[in-house]
Amino acid sequence: MKILVVDDSKLMHKMYEVMLRRHELLHAYDGRDALTRLWEHEDTRVVVLDVNMPLMDGLEFLEERRNDARLRAIPVIVVSTEGREEDTHRALELGADAYVKKPFAASELTEAIQRFTEAPR
Amino acid sequence: MTEPRPGGGRLEAASVSGGDLVVQLRTTLDRAAELVRVLESNLSALSAAGTGGPRTAAERVVELESRLHAAEADVKELADRLVDSEHQAGRLMNLYVATYQLHASLDPEEVQQTIAEIAINLLGARRFALLLRRDEGVPCEVALAEGIADGDPVYGGGSYRGGVEMVDATLEDGILRVARVARGGGAGPAGAAGTARAEGEVLAAVPLRVMDTIVGALVVLELLDHKPLLGTEDRDLLDLLSAHAASALFAARLYSAKDRRLRSLESLVRLARGE
Repeated sequence: MKILVVDDSKLMHKMYEVMLRRHELLHAYDGRDALTRLWEHEDTRVVVLDVNMPLMDGLEFLEERRNDARLRAIPVIVVSTEGREEDTHRALELGADAYVKKPFAASELTEAIQRFTEAPR
Repeated sequence: MTEPRPGGGRLEAASVSGGDLVVQLRTTLDRAAELVRVLESNLSALSAAGTGGPRTAAERVVELESRLHAAEADVKELADRLVDSEHQAGRLMNLYVATYQLHASLDPEEVQQTIAEIAINLLGARRFALLLRRDEGVPCEVALAEGIADGDPVYGGGSYRGGVEMVDATLEDGILRVARVARGGGAGPAGAAGTARAEGEVLAAVPLRVMDTIVGALVVLELLDHKPLLGTEDRDLLDLLSAHAASALFAARLYSAKDRRLRSLESLVRLARGE
């Protein structure tokens, strides 16, 4: 199963590699990069998205995704250090399907991924 | 930007076997839960049908109830072990990833960036400073400051001004210090529940060592809002940073200086040859 991980931190990419080793990972380092990857890999099942990134941040990515029916069908799990209620609310309002606060336990993310991948598309 | 290399090594092996253990425990837990369901259904069937003599049926009910209690105790124990294993696997994974990434580059900027990423993403630090001592008797430079203004009286302006008791002590004796956190969320002396955090208060002062020499400190001043305090697993990460961050940074700086010198020499040689 293909999962796109979007984060500007190399440390986090390494973390996802270890945490999600049973899945095929696609890596992107900002929102634009993520959009390109999604167009290249139409069979991506989930996107794990950081918020604070250069060029195009996570919220801008969500806005772009909102305008595209195909992209809207791919669940997005936002993973961020921003833990205030308004941050969560803003991301969910823009169409994020789940919100996980950093630092997080592996089970929090894997359970969120499982929730979306086990549901029939 | 380069993609992270797939890694190997002992720590990864540990985290992988931790993950497998979690899977095994999950399966066992599912089986135990199934057993409890079967027992419960047998019990209710027995009570409803009243098969056999009244004495035999009562004995069977008692026996099944005792087996049910045993199975429930097993389920609870397995659930506890599953939580522990998940916790342990997560801790090992953090340590492996942090170590791997600290030593993945010989570019000083990248190593500093990794230290910052560990502090933010794995520790949950919002404000912190990385202090490094270039030479004996010289104040520590602030190699990295996150969430700290340039004009900060202690950590601003590129060098640590001194005067913070916990940091000074750590720079002196190389002991990792973690503040006791008051109930109100602020660091402070024990019993100071509900006190507001004073400006400049330190949550953790982590000595940075190269061999046995103390070459600086990582000072954690504030955590993210949703991270109430530093836990045991954070202590492991702080220990790791203490042992690895400075050596990774110094190795990168040495390599970078050597590389610069080599390039200068090569230029001189080319010049001398008239190329």
